Amino acid sequence: MKFLRKMGEYLGGIEFSAGYRWQHWIRAISIFALIATGFYIANPYITYGTASATPTRFLQAGFREWHIIFGFAMIGAVLYKTIYFFFFKEAKGERVSIKDAFNVKMALQQVGYYLLISKHPHTKGVYNPLQFWAYAMLYVFFYGIIITGLALYAEVYHNGLGGMLYPFAKAVENIFGGLAYVRLWHHIFMWAIIIVVFIHIYMAVYNAVFGKNGGMDAIFSGMKWEKEEH
Amino acid sequence: MLDINKVKERIESLKKLPSLGRKSVKEILEENGFSRRDFLKWSGALAVSLGLPATFAPVVADAAEVSNRLPVVWLHLAECTGCSESLLRTDTPTIDDLIFNYISLEYHDTIMAAAGWQAEENFEEALKKFKGRYVLCVEGGVPTKDGGDFLTIGPDAETGLSKLKRTAKDAAAIIAVGTCSSFGGIQAAYPNPTGAKGIHKVLNKQVINVPGCPPSAKNIVGTIVYVILFGQLPAVDNFNRPKFAYGMRIHDLCERRGHFDAGEFVEEFGSQEAMDGFCLYKKGCKGPYTFNNCSRERFNQHTSWPVQAGHGCIGCSEPDFWDSMAPYEEPLANHKFESINADATADKIGITILTLAGVAVAAHVAISAIKPPKE
Repeated sequence: MKFLRKMGEYLGGIEFSAGYRWQHWIRAISIFALIATGFYIANPYITYGTASATPTRFLQAGFREWHIIFGFAMIGAVLYKTIYFFFFKEAKGERVSIKDAFNVKMALQQVGYYLLISKHPHTKGVYNPLQFWAYAMLYVFFYGIIITGLALYAEVYHNGLGGMLYPFAKAVENIFGGLAYVRLWHHIFMWAIIIVVFIHIYMAVYNAVFGKNGGMDAIFSGMKWEKEEH
Repeated sequence: MLDINKVKERIESLKKLPSLGRKSVKEILEENGFSRRDFLKWSGALAVSLGLPATFAPVVADAAEVSNRLPVVWLHLAECTGCSESLLRTDTPTIDDLIFNYISLEYHDTIMAAAGWQAEENFEEALKKFKGRYVLCVEGGVPTKDGGDFLTIGPDAETGLSKLKRTAKDAAAIIAVGTCSSFGGIQAAYPNPTGAKGIHKVLNKQVINVPGCPPSAKNIVGTIVYVILFGQLPAVDNFNRPKFAYGMRIHDLCERRGHFDAGEFVEEFGSQEAMDGFCLYKKGCKGPYTFNNCSRERFNQHTSWPVQAGHGCIGCSEPDFWDSMAPYEEPLANHKFESINADATADKIGITILTLAGVAVAAHVAISAIKPPKE
């Protein structure tokens, strides 16, 4: 963290770059939009009672369109974050967390912290072990939902990108044992993401309440504040 | 690649082979009230559905006429004979049905006159006489558990597994007719006590799958005509199904597709929406996950098909459809996973976990408020 500003006893620095914050929020908004449109595609919760006099309704097509738009936005954000994690200089702190992740003692101490019986462990990287594994699983779910999503996309849109992805879609279909299973897993991955996101939001709020270092603010402004003697 | 002259040469050479049937195609069609014109119209339609140019219509007709030169051995394994029955027991047979009956079925349990030892003898005879030339059609999955003992056939109690392997060895082409022989079918559905499998799982030769429960006559006859025309097996998709028939989803060419895109769905069978022809997706139509040409070819002389008749597709030509597509009258999102009361959908499981997480969070908040975490 590069220190930029001093305010009283606190030093401020850039915790999250602009690119990082953009990808986080694009991903966050996409996830919520995808959940809403995805539930509609799974089981359309709005239908018409009467036939249209003219064939000009495109309700399902509209939901599907937005699902695809946000889907590709999310894919972009996930790819950016993946490349960021492995190759960006600023992500050194993230990569260092891999070492902490295999530290069983530290993981147990982290559990103790959440159970309110021990102090927060001093981690080398930016993520504590539990957090690291939760995010690692989140990315398994992300790539699972992306792969199944693209396979479903290629079956509907046979030209352009869909055409390019078609052989890949067929391979995915083989792995899952048919398009129905691809669809079922797409739905299951969504639920896994919903649950991780729910806990993520809770933990972020929790740390903002008890951490008192503007941790939550960092994802908006990029700035994080730490006490000088730290 | 498509050289019509080569195809003509091939048909000429087939014509020289002895006819195995008693009557010619012409005679059979006339007996059943089809004119030459009907037959040529059928040939043109089949050429198009095989993805061939219209100029191939006459050679398709020729190929159908020489189809009795092609000996077919038909094995019945673990199955209900529904595939055969659907082709045989129709009171208004289509040209496809007639051609199917006409092709030389050297051995077919259901329709051959011979029985008992005589039938066995016919079978062994056909294998010897047409070695390397016959087309093997298989109906039914093959039980593999306990060495295949769950299915034994004939007086020597030969297992289906052994009979299949023996017959497949000298076959010129192997066609799996129906979902059971293609993917295992209902016998292979959970918990699959007999270890039933699609035949391609136990053979090391290429198998063309023509799944469906039953498959349409056009797809079976189309595959056989293709073999006659080109002397090779048709191009197949990822599950070894001929692309000309299984290249697109039911959903892609569905007549109700407009209502799907419009968001007009049937909520109740017998409702006004159902009468207006709304999309059957919410009543469990599995057309979006099913590859077949029903929506284009329909059944019974192009008369109708399930979705037209008002019931959704159940996905019968997909692998594992008894398990993956159930429940048939609810959307796929209501797929039931194994659980105590057997009604756990992904949504129910998800909401349960989310609720538990919510309760845990509420408890954590309450305790943290009283006793804040250590710094």
